[in-house]
Amino acid sequence: MFRGFRRDKTPNQRKEQRPARTTWELLRILGQSMDFETQVLKNPHSQQHFWISYILPLIDFEIVQKNILSYLLYSPIQTLKDIEQAIPVEDVIVTSNVTIIEEKLHEGYVLIQLNEWANEGVLIKAQRNVIRNISIPEVEFSVVGPKEAFIESLETNLHLVRKRIPSNRLTIKMLKVGSLSKTSIAVLYIEGIADEENVNTVMQRISDIEFDEVIDSSYIEQIISDNHNSPFPQLLDTERPDRVASILAEGKIAVIVDGSPHALIVPTTLVEFFSSFEDYFLNWYIASFFRLIRLFSVAFSILITPIYVAALNYHYEMIPRDLLGTLVTSRREIPLPPILEALFLELTIELLREAGARLPTKVGQTIGIVGGIVIGTASVEAGLTSNVLLILVALAALASFTTPVYKMGNTIRLMRFPFLLFAELWGLLGVVFCFCFLMGHLLRLTSLGRPFLEPIYPLRIADLKDALIRLPFSKQARRPKQLRPEQPIRFSAKKANKKKDIDE
Amino acid sequence: MQSIPERLKISPFLVFFTISSMQIGIGILGFQRVIAKSAGYDAWISVILAGIGAHLSLAMMYSILQKANGSIVEANQQLFGKWIGNILSILLVLYYTGMVVAVLRTYIEVIQVWMFPDLETWVFATSFMLLTIYIVSGGFRVVVGVCFFSIILPSYLILTFFYTFEYANFRMLLPIFDHSIFSILKAAKDMTLTILGFETLLVYYPFIKNVEQSKKWAHFSVFSTTIIYAVIAVITFAYFSEKQLQKHIWATLSMWKIVEMPFIERFEYLGIANWTIIILPNVCLAAWCSSRIVKQVANIRQKYVLVAIAAICVTSACLLKNRNSIELLNDVLGSIGFYFLYGFIPLTFIWSHILHKVRKKA
Repeated sequence: MFRGFRRDKTPNQRKEQRPARTTWELLRILGQSMDFETQVLKNPHSQQHFWISYILPLIDFEIVQKNILSYLLYSPIQTLKDIEQAIPVEDVIVTSNVTIIEEKLHEGYVLIQLNEWANEGVLIKAQRNVIRNISIPEVEFSVVGPKEAFIESLETNLHLVRKRIPSNRLTIKMLKVGSLSKTSIAVLYIEGIADEENVNTVMQRISDIEFDEVIDSSYIEQIISDNHNSPFPQLLDTERPDRVASILAEGKIAVIVDGSPHALIVPTTLVEFFSSFEDYFLNWYIASFFRLIRLFSVAFSILITPIYVAALNYHYEMIPRDLLGTLVTSRREIPLPPILEALFLELTIELLREAGARLPTKVGQTIGIVGGIVIGTASVEAGLTSNVLLILVALAALASFTTPVYKMGNTIRLMRFPFLLFAELWGLLGVVFCFCFLMGHLLRLTSLGRPFLEPIYPLRIADLKDALIRLPFSKQARRPKQLRPEQPIRFSAKKANKKKDIDE
Repeated sequence: MQSIPERLKISPFLVFFTISSMQIGIGILGFQRVIAKSAGYDAWISVILAGIGAHLSLAMMYSILQKANGSIVEANQQLFGKWIGNILSILLVLYYTGMVVAVLRTYIEVIQVWMFPDLETWVFATSFMLLTIYIVSGGFRVVVGVCFFSIILPSYLILTFFYTFEYANFRMLLPIFDHSIFSILKAAKDMTLTILGFETLLVYYPFIKNVEQSKKWAHFSVFSTTIIYAVIAVITFAYFSEKQLQKHIWATLSMWKIVEMPFIERFEYLGIANWTIIILPNVCLAAWCSSRIVKQVANIRQKYVLVAIAAICVTSACLLKNRNSIELLNDVLGSIGFYFLYGFIPLTFIWSHILHKVRKKA
């Protein structure tokens, strides 16, 4: 049986995987697709024939006509070497390697042969780039600061980063991933600042990827993250080139994937997911205040409905008498137990959010407003939910949107549900128990092998300068210790912190 | 001895958290009544005496381990030979496992008495041990993380003791030295169960990065827990009268009853729930220690040992049905701990000292 199975499989594999041995064979295989074209031209001066082959949707015909055909037909060309010299395009390759020819044809190169049967040919770059214009960041919007966002083209993205770091130490390593998609991936770091070991780990993990079609950077994120079974994102994604430039200067590493408008930042920590890049554009008092607000709102968003359920189910004696009156009045008509009431409202909010996210912007807004007001008020009037809980759930939803990173916001909304179930089971004890699980999970998480909860645990007091609060730039003279940077000092702290005397 | 890779080791200052989080456990909820039984309101002196004893014992442990240059398993093997040494180590496994059971079962009892009379012991014990397995399988670094957070996060609870000042009468402590030295020492002995926990150092010693530096953190840690215990004892004595105190098994919880804020009353519920975070490192670190010793002695994978120990703990927690049996376990564990700290450790210390000198000469 085993043998039969194997015999069945072999011919199939051969058919799929046998690479073309000669250029002619390659062109014949490519010719099965209708968008592949070969033209035969004749140079009137040297009477030489040319066979020009290309995949039509990938090439820019203007380049072909202006920069290739005009020179091919009107200069005295005899050999392939002549073509290489005559044509004013930056990337011209003379090769007989079939694999290279195949690869380049798929990247938008034009193949020119002097003989239909020859293996050797000239590859000339005539890529067609359909890209949208650089737009303003939509996910990580900031009121002040630069308004550029990455787009789907790797070259443009690299340009956006490069122009912010005009240094020869900025190193870009390129990799290709995906057996079908052959996606280019750029790993960016600053030589002499970023830790060599981190760079090697990233390169190793990316080159180990076995996948057919890599569409977006989030694919890479999920594949190379340390723990695949965690709801927490372990790599930070950003669409802001300014943020990438700033983290590179800290000693982190950025990964940019062709075709994805989001760069990945490694290694990262939990607190980084709660710091918006706008924090650096504001005065440090205000930035720290907003960071604390965000931290509080995350805690509030996760815990408030579970605490409501726990208190009303088990611990009503904990609620002071005056407050209890309010609660009782608002819940008097409600037939449902607190957990069902809470689940009903939480799921409603999730529905509204999901519906709003899937619909076109204009319709989505209407859904949000109509759903929020109408369903909320109606369910209170119908006696399905209490006013107090409606306020709490709405506040919790609002609070969950303060997280600057979209993926973290999702995680936080998901986390509410296990807490709710535990609150129903064991009241406050259950909430704390669930919190212990969360704490254990976060302690076990790593990002690129570096602890995820740093600088809180392992406690690095020096790194706390840019974690829960953000101290002024003059105190940020050292790069984060967690990254083990090769050059830990950013600028002279002495000069920045020099105290002036009166009237000096 | 198989050396511990650098990335698994912990910074010396974290020893502060491992020791204090192990010491502060279930005992702090009700030690006041126990010590006041024999020494009356002079018992705060006993707390300080017990603290001094702990300091001495800790110093001796460090000396033994430094001479052995490894954990207690290696020290036992070097000092008593392979067989006797290993038997002693296995006894330690039982001791640490007993600690897990005592902490877990006492906590469940507190929950059953104060919060949920209907809570099934096995349900909570199983869930808690699953949590423990999850954390301990993350390795020592994660366990220390739990120790760290169990000190940092509930530290706000200290502030709640200020609410008792309104009703406190510190004159109740007078006259000082009203009791005989003997009864004060007896109370210090009763204090053992509460201050126990720092002997886990014997097992995780090789995981500390810079041992010399960690010493001062360890002593500082024992010092601060002693101060906290003494302060809480004094506050309790000022709040309750001596007769009243004898009626409160968990005096700390009773004190929380008067905490009142505009949005919360009956603070003891929050306190008990919060106590999960505080006893979590007790259970995790003790379970880690016992499974680690078995791994070292018998060369079995720690994962399997951990699961087996967790199963044993759940079973024994369920077997302890009532207050008397729990109290018995706590008393037995307390006296074992007492003889361990002030009998076994000093004797081993002297023996290791002699042996070291003899070997040096030879």
